[in-house]
Amino acid sequence: MDIKNKLKKILVEDLNLEELTPEQIDDNAPLFGEGLGLDSLDAVELVVLVQKHFGIEIKDMEEGRTAFQSVNALAAYIEGRLAQ
Amino acid sequence: MIQFGGRQGAYALLLFVVLYYTLFRPSVRARSSHYLKRRFPGRNGLVSLWDSYRLNLGIGRILVDRAVLGILGPERLKVSLAGRQELQHLLEEGHGLVLVTAHVGCWQLAMSSLSTLDTRVSLLMHHEEGDLDRQFFEHGGGSAPYRIVDPAGYLGGTLEMLQVLKHGEILCIMGDRVMGGESGTVSVNFLGQPVELPFSPYKLASATGAPVAVIFPYQTGEGGYALQVARVIRVPEQLGRASKAYRPYAAQFIEALERFVADHPYQFFNFFDMWAPAVPGKPRRRG
Repeated sequence: MDIKNKLKKILVEDLNLEELTPEQIDDNAPLFGEGLGLDSLDAVELVVLVQKHFGIEIKDMEEGRTAFQSVNALAAYIEGRLAQ
Repeated sequence: MIQFGGRQGAYALLLFVVLYYTLFRPSVRARSSHYLKRRFPGRNGLVSLWDSYRLNLGIGRILVDRAVLGILGPERLKVSLAGRQELQHLLEEGHGLVLVTAHVGCWQLAMSSLSTLDTRVSLLMHHEEGDLDRQFFEHGGGSAPYRIVDPAGYLGGTLEMLQVLKHGEILCIMGDRVMGGESGTVSVNFLGQPVELPFSPYKLASATGAPVAVIFPYQTGEGGYALQVARVIRVPEQLGRASKAYRPYAAQFIEALERFVADHPYQFFNFFDMWAPAVPGKPRRRG
């Protein structure tokens, strides 16, 4: 499973987005607010999940700010970090 | 007044100013009644008026001392940090430290006394132009001994707060004040009736492994303050997304606050009606 699809699965299952399936998540939809409807405290959860599933610790919150724009952005960030 | 008459002069003037406001401004009595009628149920008439006077005098003295701190310098006030060693040990665990406090005593002094821990302190608070809380350190022309994380910032400041803890620093949050929407709160009983409290301090602790210390700064006498470490709360890691998982830890905070207001009934200065029913979809006002 590629990173993008794994991310979508994690979002649905670990964040309990019961009304969505991984396939229904738009790659470019904002993760927070009107997109997936996540709230600010979910950002905490997302940081934990990225560390748990990909072994990547987001310490620089400016990077996190860029990465949390969409599934595409987060997948690109993870791929970049894994390649380092 | 403080520059010419010093703290004693300001305190003396305060006796009459507070008396006037307590007697002739019903709105002042109303603001203190939310808490007082639950702290002292059944009291009314002159006794409740006396309670209101004492509470308002308490906040008046705090405001004077805050100004003294800003204008005349911290050396004019005595602050003891009981539990400094305990806080130091918690910091040495290396996961950062969440300090949860409440609208009690003079929290600005608490922030000043934390500087002895040699670790950067960040405080979650609204950052508004003309904010009295910001201005008071500026009286003396110095900079605040803490960094402000604005809950109106990106994602409610949560990423900044996480960063603070991941760097092993101190994050201070008001546990009796709701900053965002209702989704970030849990309901617990305070003085016998339910209130909505933020669970973000406990969620951040769960995500990072940081210990939570409940601290209350209070006035011990004229110009004297103590910072008490009332309780240390351990939140298990990775409790997840559901708010109910964090309710037991908010309840531990409230137990500590109830003990504090039992010991210091006239030093609780949250004048917001914490017990008012929440309006669905509407963020609660700051305390």
